[in-house]
Amino acid sequence: MNEIGIVFTAEILRRLRSRIFWIATLGGVLAIAFIVTAPTIFVGFARSSSSDVILAGPPALRDRAKALMTAKREYRVVATLDALPSHVTIKFLEEHGDAGAAIAISERNGALHLDVYPRDISAFDDVEFRELVPLNIELATGIAPARIQKAATIGRTLHALDAKFSDSRVAALAHGIAFGLIFILYLAIILASQSVMAAVAEEKTSRIAEILVSTIEPANLLVGKTLAAAAVALVQIALWLATAALILPHVAASLSNSNSAANAAASGASANDPTAILAVDPWVLIAFVVFFILGYLQYATVYAAAASLISRTEDMASVTTPVILPVVGAFFVAQFALIAPTSPLVVACSFVPFVSPFVMFTRIAISTVPLWQIGLAVGIDALTVAACFWAAGRIYRVGMLLYGQLPSPKQIFAALRA
Amino acid sequence: MLVLDRVQRSFGSVEAVRGVSFSVERGAMFGLLGPNGAGKTTIMRMILGIFVPDGGTITWNGSPIDLATRRRFGYLPEERGLYGKMKVRDHIVYFGRLHGLEATEAGRRADLWMATLDIERYAQRACSELSKGNQQKVQLACAVLHEPDLLVLDEPFSGLDPVNAEMMLNCMRALAARGTTLVLSSHQMFQIENACTAFCIIGAGEVRARGTLAELRREFPTRTVRVAPDLPAIRAAFAARGAAEPVAAADGEIAFELPAATDFGSLLREAVAAGPLESFDRQEPTLNEIYVRALGALAAAR
Repeated sequence: MNEIGIVFTAEILRRLRSRIFWIATLGGVLAIAFIVTAPTIFVGFARSSSSDVILAGPPALRDRAKALMTAKREYRVVATLDALPSHVTIKFLEEHGDAGAAIAISERNGALHLDVYPRDISAFDDVEFRELVPLNIELATGIAPARIQKAATIGRTLHALDAKFSDSRVAALAHGIAFGLIFILYLAIILASQSVMAAVAEEKTSRIAEILVSTIEPANLLVGKTLAAAAVALVQIALWLATAALILPHVAASLSNSNSAANAAASGASANDPTAILAVDPWVLIAFVVFFILGYLQYATVYAAAASLISRTEDMASVTTPVILPVVGAFFVAQFALIAPTSPLVVACSFVPFVSPFVMFTRIAISTVPLWQIGLAVGIDALTVAACFWAAGRIYRVGMLLYGQLPSPKQIFAALRA
Repeated sequence: MLVLDRVQRSFGSVEAVRGVSFSVERGAMFGLLGPNGAGKTTIMRMILGIFVPDGGTITWNGSPIDLATRRRFGYLPEERGLYGKMKVRDHIVYFGRLHGLEATEAGRRADLWMATLDIERYAQRACSELSKGNQQKVQLACAVLHEPDLLVLDEPFSGLDPVNAEMMLNCMRALAARGTTLVLSSHQMFQIENACTAFCIIGAGEVRARGTLAELRREFPTRTVRVAPDLPAIRAAFAARGAAEPVAAADGEIAFELPAATDFGSLLREAVAAGPLESFDRQEPTLNEIYVRALGALAAAR
């Protein structure tokens, strides 16, 4: 086995045997599980406070109102009464289906009137009960609600300009997934790069570097370490994505069965087809892996070179700050790309080293990108990786043996020219 | 054979090594001596390819030292460095593999060396859990697992108790007997004097003295003679030979320093004739004396 392979294997084993790795991996799985199930939890809370209602009033009026209110699953009527008590209390709401509100419905001067007693008054601030408008018109004009509803519905057809998405639900889903993947990309790149940085700093500060550099080519040591961290990070990402893929269908199904269609739509899931959540374009996943590797290798080599310059772990912060800013900046540009994937600035940024992996991936995830642009971005990123390895290898070789003050920019430049 | 020929190295404006030349025969134990900051570690790092000399050449068996040659070298640096969380056996095997051993062979040799160095019971312990002395043994095992052609040891006895220092010394002797060339630095003069076959004393980046102990002694200008009892007639005999005022020892003996070229046989006869001589002991200079004199001349020159 060549020396890169030996370093690669040893680094992987070191990381897999590290308690911190498993804490981070399992912590990530739990965090992903929480993030994915959060909509269900919040919908559950929201339902108990505002969607479940007690409806009171004359039976004829009350039943027609109930039919309108539950038609689109906006509300769930948990109890019906002829009249509410003179003093509605929270205890009363709890005793009647743990409702979020009690609504007394009545007719006053030929119009509908509602007396609402919510558990949380702020939750009903903007609620206009527009689903009851047909009943209000019926009371005023005598026209049947079915006719009113038909007249109020305007037919429409959405035509997607980007052939990538057949309808708005799929587009919303793609945006949601793209956001999640960009976040994972950001998190994985920054964590994996920092783990390489910590490993290099450990070798430098513990002085193992001196033995290593006398035995193998520093560049090979750097390559072995960064590739091992990438492999381990990919395992972590796979576990996180698998967790999301396992839980998402259940969450989607739970949301689609809920009374709140609005909440389900907000989560990006199709209310009618919970398995749609898994319909991620495989090319998006391939692009994710490719741009993760390209992005990670650019940042990890820079981080490793930076770590080789410190003499004490206390100095880590002073070299971390300058190298962490580009990755944060790239993440923000990717957020802008989510909103405007075809803007000239976004298109230009998708070819800029260090920013490209985030931006080009975002464009691929939510729009149709010409193949030549993808090829060009991959080519630029690959060249950047090669340049990073070249420069980092030289800085690393010099930096690993420098102790004392941080080297000046002049010394770093001299190392690059050596 | 290792040959350094007029090797130079500077760091900025500081000339750390200035025209250092010496050679070390195969299987020899070579002592590199000098005060802190003299340039010993820099010389060792240049031998190992960690630093590139600014001038001069370093060759191994007549050829410049490349990576393939360096992989046949072993190194025990002054600063002890181990992967703290890695298990002892894994650590030794890893460094063996970096030096080109197959995994199985590296494992077999690691077990042998752990037994030799009496650290086999720590095989599955993390390196950081070991005492400083045992960590040093782990590092030695890492440095010798691949049976190096050249072993460079920077302060190998530092931090070791006498028993472990002796164990370390025995390992070095065994390696030398097998043909490994050793270059070591130490401030423990007694141990290095007993261990090494040749020496190079470095001061301020320059060679101050070099050679075998016999050669260094030959160049030493004086000899010490300890005699008893302290009698005026004996003092007079020594004074006639140009001896300086003697130094009195606690056991009643007196020590004279005389030029190395003195005819000690005739001096002994004169001392015997001068009085009832109880003891007459001509002493060769110790390595420590040679070292102090070589560097003392440097201090005087400054």
